[in-house]
Amino acid sequence: MFQKVLIANRGEIALRIHRACREMGIKTVAVHSTADVNAMNVRLADETVCIGPPAARDSYMNVAAIITAAAITGADAIHPGLGFLAEDADFAATVEEHGFSFIGPSAEHIRLMGNKVAAKEAARRLGIPTVPGSVGAVRDVAAAETEARTIGYPVLIKAAAGGGGRGMKVARNPTELARMLPIARSEAAAFFGCGEVYLERHLERPRHIEIQILGDGQGGIVHLGERDCSLQRSHQKVLEETPSPALNGEERERLTGLAVVALRDLGYKGAGTLEFLYQDGEFFFIEMNTRLQVEHPITEMISGIDIVREQIRIAAGAPLGYCQADISFCGHAIECRINAENPETFLPCPGRVTDYHAPGGPGVRVDSALYHGYEVPPYYDSLISKLIVHGKSRNECLMRLRRALEEYVIGGIETTIPLHQRLAAAGAFIDGDYDVHWLERFVGDRA
Amino acid sequence: MKIGGRSPPFPDAELIRTLAALLNETGLTEIEYAIGDRRIRIARVPGGAGLATTAAVAALSPLPAPAALVDHPGAVKAPVVGTAYLAPQPGDPPFVRLGDAVTEGQPLLIVEAMKVMNQIRAHRPGRIAQILIADAQPVEYGAILMLIE
Repeated sequence: MFQKVLIANRGEIALRIHRACREMGIKTVAVHSTADVNAMNVRLADETVCIGPPAARDSYMNVAAIITAAAITGADAIHPGLGFLAEDADFAATVEEHGFSFIGPSAEHIRLMGNKVAAKEAARRLGIPTVPGSVGAVRDVAAAETEARTIGYPVLIKAAAGGGGRGMKVARNPTELARMLPIARSEAAAFFGCGEVYLERHLERPRHIEIQILGDGQGGIVHLGERDCSLQRSHQKVLEETPSPALNGEERERLTGLAVVALRDLGYKGAGTLEFLYQDGEFFFIEMNTRLQVEHPITEMISGIDIVREQIRIAAGAPLGYCQADISFCGHAIECRINAENPETFLPCPGRVTDYHAPGGPGVRVDSALYHGYEVPPYYDSLISKLIVHGKSRNECLMRLRRALEEYVIGGIETTIPLHQRLAAAGAFIDGDYDVHWLERFVGDRA
Repeated sequence: MKIGGRSPPFPDAELIRTLAALLNETGLTEIEYAIGDRRIRIARVPGGAGLATTAAVAALSPLPAPAALVDHPGAVKAPVVGTAYLAPQPGDPPFVRLGDAVTEGQPLLIVEAMKVMNQIRAHRPGRIAQILIADAQPVEYGAILMLIE
């Protein structure tokens, strides 16, 4: 087992990793920028090294500085956390080349899943369904109609050279397709200088469902159930829950089974998450994250498995030591991401925390590096805390969430706690009746 | 930077370590340091146990950048995290010694990061008033290495 782990990250996730290390008797090295000298993870670490100025590219993404810090402190392994260098295959390879263990999957798997096109091809090869689409560009209306019949309506006409949602048209039937195709082509030509378009199944109200996987790279592989992360704003997850209120037992078994088989074939080592869109009983693979996820605590709450601890054990070469049948899920868990942002305009609000009181009591967990007097720096992500609640049932969990939000005091800066309070009282959320577009409407209605 | 232990709860403790190390390095018998109405005096008691204890503490923990020097215009700071070397090669005489006059651009020391030797040069002319690191000492980004006055 490792004696000393360098944590190449900041904020709550760096603290989360520090906690796992300390519970395993492992010493920690916190690397930090000049802006994070007073951060809680830095104050608690056994050793600290300032590696650069505030800009992340010069500090938290500065590979040479991180490797040097590992060398001068004599660390055995580097945990990249999430974001920054966590999914940088070259970084993972460099860490290993310098004789340190990388706490994460192999560079090869990070690279494979980092390329969205290659990842989808790999998923199809591994037997995982992806959003159906045309093979290459469609030449004319007749070809488009043939493709659309196979794909299934409604279809999305997308510009081959496009991106960012521009030049996309929805067709619900052959008549609409015949009418929209020429428009889409001329728009594509106007926007992107290339009139090529292709078709893809349009999902109007999908949910975002993801499966947590742990593999030891030695044949041991398990899933830790799903997470429903459909409550999103600008493609950022806001609140996550597990189990998903939308899945039935048969669907859950099918999806988790598929994920486990696919990653066993791949020989996957470490923690990973397969993300899917789910609609009308069908699942479509979108991407795989080859790292720890922000929302991992809800899975820990219902499975009783410490995912960070498992990442470290696996990186040290230990086998899982348990199989799927040994894992049982208990109750329901919800996580609220609390950002230093105005809850209506979502403008970031860095500054000094003048009052701090974290909720407690049964079934409440707070993953946060905040403290009274802490100065939230303006240089990084606005996520400052994760409130995680667990209950025997979804209803108990919701009641607990409301009272925990009532208790939480973060003074001096604006936070998204009021948004979560509104959400926790919203009928559609209480009923579990929401899709990936619901939150945007919910927030927009108010504005 | 803290290596091999937890940060002292008060900046004073760091300051005392810094001063104690300076006492050893310069061979002085006494240093008095005042900021506002706060005053710290570090004295060498001939043959006493006091200094030995202080020096041992200083040796255990690499020096943090003394807060008072951060804004000093003559402070030479580490541009990267790495290992500082005072001489071009092991066994060679150091680039500079305490009290040496230096010209702008003159090499002062090396900070090695990932086997790359980064030569640190004087950013202004003057005299080497302080050398705050030992040879082969790990230094973090922004650490104050020397003071030119």
